[in-house]
Amino acid sequence: MLKKVITRDKLPALWAHLSEQGPLILPVQDGPVVLFKPWQEGTAVNLDAVNSAVSPKDIFLPREETFLHYRSGNQQLELKAVAEEEPVIAFGLHPCDLKAIEMLDRVFMEQDPPDALYRNRRERTTVVALACSEPDPFCFCNDFGIDPTAAPGADILGHLTDSSLLLEALTDKGKALLEQAGELLEDGSGEQVEKQEIKTADFGLKLEGLPADLKNRFDDPVWDEIYKSCLSCGVCTYVCPTCYCFDVEDFGHAAEGERFRCWDSCMYGHFTVMAGGHNPRPDRKERVRQRFMHKLQYYPEVYDEIACVGCGRCLRSCPVNLDIVQAIKALGGEKVEQR
Amino acid sequence: MAEPNLDQMEKIRDVVAQDLLGGRIELLLGWEKGHYWWQSRPLFAHSKEDLEKLVWDSFCAVNLSRYLLDELKDHQKVGVLVKGCDARAFNRLLQDNMVERDRVVLYGLPCPGMLDYDRLAAAAESAPDGITEQNGRVILKTARGEVEIERDAVLMDKCKDCLYPDPVVYDQLLLEPQGEREAPERFKAVGDLENLPDNERFAYWEKELSRCLRCYACRQACPYCSCRECFVEQENPRWQGRAYQPSENFLFHLVRAYHGAGRCIDCGECERACPVGIPLQELNRKLTKDINELYGHYEAGLDAELEPPLLTYRPDDPAAFSEK
Repeated sequence: MLKKVITRDKLPALWAHLSEQGPLILPVQDGPVVLFKPWQEGTAVNLDAVNSAVSPKDIFLPREETFLHYRSGNQQLELKAVAEEEPVIAFGLHPCDLKAIEMLDRVFMEQDPPDALYRNRRERTTVVALACSEPDPFCFCNDFGIDPTAAPGADILGHLTDSSLLLEALTDKGKALLEQAGELLEDGSGEQVEKQEIKTADFGLKLEGLPADLKNRFDDPVWDEIYKSCLSCGVCTYVCPTCYCFDVEDFGHAAEGERFRCWDSCMYGHFTVMAGGHNPRPDRKERVRQRFMHKLQYYPEVYDEIACVGCGRCLRSCPVNLDIVQAIKALGGEKVEQR
Repeated sequence: MAEPNLDQMEKIRDVVAQDLLGGRIELLLGWEKGHYWWQSRPLFAHSKEDLEKLVWDSFCAVNLSRYLLDELKDHQKVGVLVKGCDARAFNRLLQDNMVERDRVVLYGLPCPGMLDYDRLAAAAESAPDGITEQNGRVILKTARGEVEIERDAVLMDKCKDCLYPDPVVYDQLLLEPQGEREAPERFKAVGDLENLPDNERFAYWEKELSRCLRCYACRQACPYCSCRECFVEQENPRWQGRAYQPSENFLFHLVRAYHGAGRCIDCGECERACPVGIPLQELNRKLTKDINELYGHYEAGLDAELEPPLLTYRPDDPAAFSEK
């Protein structure tokens, strides 16, 4: 399909052009971390970072999303649905994050009825993926069979070199975007990308059979050990590309305000508190078990795939290093040396 | 790989093994290696086999004192390895009546300061493969050969301005004291912010706090945040909403910081735990600086007998707010 190329020095002009129609969301250096944020004049784009501190799931499942305005008075309640309509370009997502979006798609779109808010964002977004050239030490996507140089599910796949960015359309939507960029992009039909084999961290994991093995291990005493170091913060769930729990709340007051949905975390004590005060997951043990069982057993039971893509964000960010690899190993998902 | 100091390790292990296996303590809180040489994570040791995993190296940043809040529910007597900041954290919990002194055995570890992986990687200009340390210098193994740097240049932020590397409370000191340190830059960032016009200072915090995910890692890692129910979770009245509005971000961080006024021990765990790099120490240190200026110099957590200024009343206390 269509291939275009642009030298790095011309990228700011491309950002400016692409953001004319609607938000262009891409990796931005924000203080000491890289986050996916909308481009504005002067934004410090950082395409060279391997993984953003927080996953780009935010583009489709924002940490906060207003969907209703309400106003009441004179015994009347006025409701107005809010839905954005402008096209969005999500630029620079790495293959692991794309794989995670495929997992979220199953949860939010392949249901009857599909989730309207998620679908709205997904359908008006053109996704430009960026192939990885060098993994960072936290990456372990090899364990999940992800090719860090390919991007099934993206509309365009980008390959970044020291001097230029090669963009290859994978869908009609991607082709349309490249054509729309006009003369900012040069013909790249002659460009070849050398197939690179990227080796990510090898923790010696043995994932095959783990979901089935965990099916009857809800009461395994190992859970009494795994959770011990957990601080009950929400870092792992919020940086994770495959965590998707949310809550719905109001901002404003009785007479006027807005209703929004926002991220929630199963690591929080209040996550499962019922009306009346009962909490079926009263302590850290139950919450930690829930999170890892969701990744390793509940999700695979329904969708036949472990809900982890090896992005390494929890390995980097958990303040006490209670990450998914730690849990998998404790649960026996480790290769045993054969003598 | 990181090579621990084997003499130190042996000494530490001998002492805690004697107490744990001899029944003086039921649990030892220490550190074990994580997946990487630059990560040491909490170890909950009950047995001889557990103790074999125990490490003490330049990456034992996690403050273990906080785990006492949970572990003292299940154990009669718990041993904890404490660095300088961890010992002050213990005093914090003691002053807040969250722990009982006679149910805890503190093993003091004078601390040379913990090393920051991102700084090491930046110094190596790539992901380093391993590290050795010698006479205040760090030698990194990289793909391009060895890179040698001064240890002080790659300390974690939380350790850079540490005044008390030696534990201020302990039952047994396991290593040679480091001696007092100086931290001339401790209040520099606060001073710089104080000198900004109001609107610029507001804009600075609005930008920094805009990254906040409200994951509450800062609170959960903090030894002064030991409330059984935080105002954030209170339902009636509902103080903290979930919206990612500047007003909600300010509410959380300012209320938390004020709650720590005169109680913050400056361990920096909040900032270390933050996944998006919000400079939370600047907020905490602003309050510490104000307390020092209003009520006289006070270092929280140094002496458990010395009550924080805002928890005491003296007739001659300054009334700076009403005098203006």
